[in-house]
Amino acid sequence: MFGLIGHLTSLEHARSLAYELGYWEYAEQDLDFWCMAPPQTLDEIKVRSITGQVIEGRYIESCFVPEMLSQNRFKAAIRKVINAMAHAQKNGIDITALGGFTSIIFENFNLEQIRDVRNVSLDFKRFTTGNTHTAYIITRQIELAAPEMGIDLKRASILVCGATGDIGSAVCRWLAYHFPKADLILVARNQQRLQEFQQELGTGRILPLTEGLPLADVVVWVASMPKGIDINPTELKHPCLMIDGGYPKNVSTQIQHPQVRVLQGGMVEHSLDMDWQTISSLPDMNILERQMYACFAEAMILEFEGWHTNFSWGRNQITLEKMAQIGAASVKHGFRPLLH
Amino acid sequence: MVASAAIPDYQSAAYRDAFSRINAIVIEGEQQAADNYIQIAELLTDHREELLALSKMESRHKKGFEACGRNLQVTPDLPFAKKFFEGLRANFQKAFAAGDVVTCLLIQALIIEAFAIAAYNIYIPVADPFSRKITEGVVKDEYLHLNFGQRWLKAHFPEVKDRLKEANRENLPLVWRMLNEVEQDAAQLGMDKAALVEDFLIAYGDALAEIGFTTREVMQLTAMGLAT
Repeated sequence: MFGLIGHLTSLEHARSLAYELGYWEYAEQDLDFWCMAPPQTLDEIKVRSITGQVIEGRYIESCFVPEMLSQNRFKAAIRKVINAMAHAQKNGIDITALGGFTSIIFENFNLEQIRDVRNVSLDFKRFTTGNTHTAYIITRQIELAAPEMGIDLKRASILVCGATGDIGSAVCRWLAYHFPKADLILVARNQQRLQEFQQELGTGRILPLTEGLPLADVVVWVASMPKGIDINPTELKHPCLMIDGGYPKNVSTQIQHPQVRVLQGGMVEHSLDMDWQTISSLPDMNILERQMYACFAEAMILEFEGWHTNFSWGRNQITLEKMAQIGAASVKHGFRPLLH
Repeated sequence: MVASAAIPDYQSAAYRDAFSRINAIVIEGEQQAADNYIQIAELLTDHREELLALSKMESRHKKGFEACGRNLQVTPDLPFAKKFFEGLRANFQKAFAAGDVVTCLLIQALIIEAFAIAAYNIYIPVADPFSRKITEGVVKDEYLHLNFGQRWLKAHFPEVKDRLKEANRENLPLVWRMLNEVEQDAAQLGMDKAALVEDFLIAYGDALAEIGFTTREVMQLTAMGLAT
């Protein structure tokens, strides 16, 4: 069985979902209440691959909301992640993806140091960040969308914002290998880490975001930033392909410019049959029927293939081989990069 | 960055003052648990031996916690603790007098045990070394007690379901009131109220789910009276 640990996008969203589901006790409560709320198995999912194989999974709502970070409720945020993981393990789930903020919290607060949660000793082999599949999907989005816009990747300038992160570093490695002549522009906040990464990569140039942006034919956004930044599309190169795989979204502007195309990075479309018992009946959740985060899809792929291991774990560990491996399985079971 | 709790000054007057009440609550809680299991044994004669063994275990825990107080040279405020448990105690005795084993089990084997497990789990990381050792041993035992109540209620779920809901409505709000009463003292010991409530909701919710309630029912039952 696979698991997905998720969270809602805001306190307001959490309240309205609780209301829709008929959990009145939760629907009108403030942040203090959500800081005390335990994780819940909110849905049972049956998934049929295009190969015909059927697997079962559970959606676990962590009860984390992003306000816990913006209002410095870090202890509560940490508890949500750790308790949701313990919940997944206690319920016998073999492989669980940490979705949205939960993997970011796990990494930034070094939660691998917390092993024992009550009477559960966390087995990290049962969890994956899903970042390998996300990185693979982003590279496919680059590869497929750029030529459509007349961008020749062999000669293009490609800027990766968040180059030292887990997903960003994997995308850079892939670009350096497949398009060695491309002009790779590396952008990240931590300059020391960025220089070390550039040396490890053996290519690419380091620029501040504002200098690099007007030069780029392709921009890959995979930074973790508290909120998105405003972009003026007239200051970009034309045409320009922007793939926003940041969580939360790195680009806050609704860009409407004929020469600039923005794709939701790290999202998949799929032809699988997914039967969500509860969630997909809700107004803003029916999209799950056809689109989802690549990190969630990774848990499903690992379950289909019986790879019950933490396929994506730690920082800067994603190899080209693993991206190819998860990519082949992704195609086999019916996932595709989102291209519109 | 690791989320580690600040270690309190175990010898400060403020710490020892708060500890005198929290330690008394724990001692009194274990004493009542020992008494309650003896009474439950009278109602469930088939399980008499097992219940009396649990009662003995609780008495042992009590002795352990008395040693924790002595170790810090703190005199537990037992009159405070007796008053603290008054409401739950009265409800338990009322149910016992009526031969209502379901309510007795809900109060002792689910609510009090889940509350104890939560409190001990949150206390362990901030406890003095002596108390930590004692408490770690106790927590292991407590999971066994929760199991007894769970097992019995699960085996009788269809006929006890409605009574459990009723008993939950009558007793869970008392727990929130009790928690508010000791919020300051617990904070003095380095225990965070939100963490305590969350841990309780997990232990209590898991027990209710194991007994047979659905996720929806568990969410409704555990949140009963929590919002103020």
